[in-house]
Amino acid sequence: MKILEANNGALTNFEVLDFLRAKGASRDPTRVLAKVAQSEYKVYDYLVDTAACDQTRESINEFLKSVKSYDLAKAEILNLINMRPANIVEIFPIIESCDTRFSDEELTEIVEIVKKTFPPPPEESKPEDANSAEETKSSGEEGGEPMERS
Amino acid sequence: MFYLSKIEHTLPLPAPQLARPIQEAIHTQLEKLFLDKVIANLGLCVSVYDIKSIEGGFIYPGEGAPTYTVVFNLIMFRPFVGEIMTAKLLSSDADGLRLSLGFFDDIYVPLQHLPSPNEFKAESTKSTKGTWYWNYDEQSFPIDDSDVIKFRIQNVTYPSIPLEQPKESKPFAPMLVTGSIDYDGLGPVSWWPGQEQDAEEGEEAQEEEEAAAEE
Repeated sequence: MKILEANNGALTNFEVLDFLRAKGASRDPTRVLAKVAQSEYKVYDYLVDTAACDQTRESINEFLKSVKSYDLAKAEILNLINMRPANIVEIFPIIESCDTRFSDEELTEIVEIVKKTFPPPPEESKPEDANSAEETKSSGEEGGEPMERS
Repeated sequence: MFYLSKIEHTLPLPAPQLARPIQEAIHTQLEKLFLDKVIANLGLCVSVYDIKSIEGGFIYPGEGAPTYTVVFNLIMFRPFVGEIMTAKLLSSDADGLRLSLGFFDDIYVPLQHLPSPNEFKAESTKSTKGTWYWNYDEQSFPIDDSDVIKFRIQNVTYPSIPLEQPKESKPFAPMLVTGSIDYDGLGPVSWWPGQEQDAEEGEEAQEEEEAAAEE
């Protein structure tokens, strides 16, 4: 084995997820049929729970365009796309020494750009899902009671 | 987090594979060879991205298979130092935390990279396992597996394969990631609900959780 290029380009989480999806990975139970290895499914399962799950190529391109004016390193932009920080405290660890490089206004602007270009992560819609799940559960229990009585 | 790495490899293609189209056959063979394996200094191989070229196909004397030289790209999992990632807690003991990404489990957050002042409470006097607490503002925040944990990559090492392993030691890990959660915005995501209004929501959510726990 010969390593020709150790670093032939970085990939965002979205790109890896997109690649796995194109290969046939999905959440449905028929996953044994797809030509995707077990280890690839583990990566897929991790990535669908991150912010990458509903990003698109267009939204990432738009984000890259709009943060061009800020003096950010490539790795920082990559990390911003992968983490989708929704407030300043989340952006703090991602950007190195950001309190000296950026003012609070600029950071708020970056957060705004992130929020505008990338849709909110599924966590924010989760409580509703949980409620509906509980509802179905309770309705299921109600449905079960009469049967027990009879 | 993920990188492409261009690699050249010479491999024999077993005869039963020859009935299939060459590209497909070599792709399968490469997956068998590299998938879910760690290559030192390159990281953990996630997938075969594409095949650039296939050359050769000689059958060497005494061999029952043609040998090809293939140039291809692999998707490697290789976090860079300073990167922020999320993971789940796998275990925690007096030495620190062990985190898991689901596909990669060898992430350690040692004692010195935990937010200070901190405190460790063991489950019982006998067990080494327990929970770490961050004592901030006279409140203690637990680090438990109820939440995903954000951490910063401190170091990535590729230990060489030991010739002899001591008995009852941990299984050998070819790639070790050291993380840190000692910074603003790091640690369990519920610690940092964000702006004022979000903070209120976070408190409400916490109250709700507590109420649910009481029930």
